[in-house]
Amino acid sequence: MNRASGNGDLFDNYLDPKRPHAGAFDEMFAADSTVRSAYRRLYDSLSPSKPADLATRAEALDRALVDQGITFSLSGQERPFPLDLIPRVITAGEWAKLERGIVQRVRGLEAFLADIYGDQQIIRDGVLPRRLITSCAHFHRQAAGVSPPNGVRIHVSGVDLVRDEDGTFRVLEDNLRSPSGVSYVMENRRTMARVFPDLFAKHRVRAVGDYAVHLLRALRAAAAPNVADPTVVVLTPGVHNSAYFEHSLLARLMGVELVEGRDLFCRDNVIYLRTTEGERQVDVIYRRIDDEYLDPVQFRPDSVLGVAGVINAARAGNVVIANAVGNGVGDDKLVYTYLPEILKYYLDEAPLLPNVDTYRCWLREERQYVFDHADELVIKPVEGSGGYGIVFGPDASAKELAAIRRRVRANPRGWIAQPLVQLSTVPTKVGQRLKPRHVDLRPFAVNDGKSVFVLPGGLTRVAVPEGSLVVNSSQGGGSKDTWVLAARSSTVDPELSGQRLGTPQEESAPERGPELTSAQQQQQQQQ
Amino acid sequence: MTTTPEAVRQSRTGTMDPVSWRVRVVHTTGYRYEAPVVQSYNEARLTPRSDRRQNLVVARLETTPATRSYRYTDYWGTEVTSFDLHAPHTELKIVASSVVETTEHVQPIDDASWADLRGDGIADRYGELLEPTRYAPRNKELISIARKLRTGRRPMEAVLAVSEWVHDQLTYHQGTTGVHSSAIDAWQAREGVCQDYAHLTLAMLRSIGIPARYVSGYLHTKPDGAIGETVRGESHAWIEAWTGGWWGFDPTNDIEIGQRHVWVAIGRDYGDVSPLKGTYSGGAASAIEVSVDMTRLA
Repeated sequence: MNRASGNGDLFDNYLDPKRPHAGAFDEMFAADSTVRSAYRRLYDSLSPSKPADLATRAEALDRALVDQGITFSLSGQERPFPLDLIPRVITAGEWAKLERGIVQRVRGLEAFLADIYGDQQIIRDGVLPRRLITSCAHFHRQAAGVSPPNGVRIHVSGVDLVRDEDGTFRVLEDNLRSPSGVSYVMENRRTMARVFPDLFAKHRVRAVGDYAVHLLRALRAAAAPNVADPTVVVLTPGVHNSAYFEHSLLARLMGVELVEGRDLFCRDNVIYLRTTEGERQVDVIYRRIDDEYLDPVQFRPDSVLGVAGVINAARAGNVVIANAVGNGVGDDKLVYTYLPEILKYYLDEAPLLPNVDTYRCWLREERQYVFDHADELVIKPVEGSGGYGIVFGPDASAKELAAIRRRVRANPRGWIAQPLVQLSTVPTKVGQRLKPRHVDLRPFAVNDGKSVFVLPGGLTRVAVPEGSLVVNSSQGGGSKDTWVLAARSSTVDPELSGQRLGTPQEESAPERGPELTSAQQQQQQQQ
Repeated sequence: MTTTPEAVRQSRTGTMDPVSWRVRVVHTTGYRYEAPVVQSYNEARLTPRSDRRQNLVVARLETTPATRSYRYTDYWGTEVTSFDLHAPHTELKIVASSVVETTEHVQPIDDASWADLRGDGIADRYGELLEPTRYAPRNKELISIARKLRTGRRPMEAVLAVSEWVHDQLTYHQGTTGVHSSAIDAWQAREGVCQDYAHLTLAMLRSIGIPARYVSGYLHTKPDGAIGETVRGESHAWIEAWTGGWWGFDPTNDIEIGQRHVWVAIGRDYGDVSPLKGTYSGGAASAIEVSVDMTRLA
């Protein structure tokens, strides 16, 4: 029965050998159509269903999504961000590996950013070319010499992972600025729990609802140590931003103010929040505004979204900006190719998660390779996100390839190229059947300075059109609930376990700033 | 001044070259606003630095209305004073004063060949000083002129040739170009001020692979300045080029950098070193006073 075939069932002709990118790794079915262990229970639950059941569930899901008001801006137009019925499942073993790899990356990149905005020892030692940094558009000289109190610059990161043809997870890119999408992780889970309580009863799915607890802990830990009870705010560009829903959700879950630039002001390098009871000093700003708009004194003078003077306030140590200004030099797509060197230099470790093989157009030989093989490669601008500007060599006409060669030649630093990775596929509802669709994964990591917490799961994005490998939500993709299964021996509470059912948000001990222990209170002994 | 020239002289007796100058610089900037201004955030890059050629004795920066200032050193090594004003005000005056000891002419350095400059090491080390910038952009015509000037010359000689060419091409004239004009604007107008001379020189030097940087500072206007005489100085700009080592040249006056030059900041172009920048809300500003008084003290 564990087969991707059979008559009239949901998986009818699922592994069609004639499907596009048939070489891709399917996460539910092995090449011989047997069900992989991670998905066995899910398969057993789903396979008796009839297409009509699927339609009923889909309707319930759509209603739930509309009720919750989850939308995403596609080319400026708000529309629902479709959540697929079928969850994506990651086993405890697979997750443990991913978690270690992500933590390693965050630690390495933290050390890298501290160095780049400090003494630049990695350049002095000749490990990285200086020009790699000085030519990076997101290397912000304005942030040189700003050192946050607890050393953390990457409070929140999102590491985009793909699974190649062999099923190996590879890092496609790092996001160290304002990675968005975690609200979909939480909301997708909430929706799925409403629509499929039976599935959760059969799986030990690790909970994602406590993300805001971890985020608040990290933000409070980021404040200067002299602040006993730090004031944290979430700074949003405003309701017109495509991720405003996420900003408001996080502020609400953390129980902190959601503010816009005009609600804050700086005086003598201290940031204050205007409240009905007067001014209140702000210690930590979780900002979801791009660097260029954050401080009109240092960046775009015409920006009205930010707070004038906030960068010097951070330099003076009176406020912490999370994530730090200038983190973009760490997620530059060209710097990414040097990550093995970066991890080796700071941690003396080899990467636990491999990169996708990447050709650097700014190196002569690699550029020549890209020109010779342009029709096989994916050519990407170093700048830019959301899938804009990418050229898929195999789909491009000769004219398009000539155009991209010209653009690369004019600005070699601005382009990289990668082989076409046939992203792994997961069953996805298409019409009345389940079909393989390509996915990626963006787990979220929160660094509180002592440890890096990786939210078990992450945002799985689906390329809905058949054969499409572009999973970006700004290109009209959908998403899936991502289930990380708890290890059999683990004691963590699975989703929807017992008493938590029906409670909106799990209770957490109120956060406190660092307190003096009795040992610290003693006078230092004279030697 | 908190430190008298005599006190300075006593503490420094015998340590300076006899042909060095001690210069006092008082740079006053005044703004008047049409309507009261609040929330004014400013950064001043007005404090001279010390290096092998120049020694900063004392510096201070005062504002009226008075402010609580914050100092830091930026990416380029420039001393920055930041201050903000919140009480409504219709005038703002900033006085930066300093005493600086400067030495004799800087000699051109001739330690690098074109092959040295083309090597990966230099292109990497000074990459950001070889790229075009907003004020010193790439221009085909200028590149071909710079290439002609390079022919048959060593890099050091090319720096002098380009500076001389810029000096000959432009007529010093205030008012044609503004603070936001680029090298190309000035060249097309064939007119400009020191800022434009420097940007045009930078654009051409970088186009032929010579690392070059913008220097902002002051110029004492009298080559034979008498001790104790206060002259109207200038807020000035010139360039430094790397030809085996950094050395400066003043394309505006086609002269070497000497005792009369006091440097404050270096960067890729004016944007990195602008002496005063800031934002405020309120009425339009007009500069009512900009003066640089320079006195040779010794």
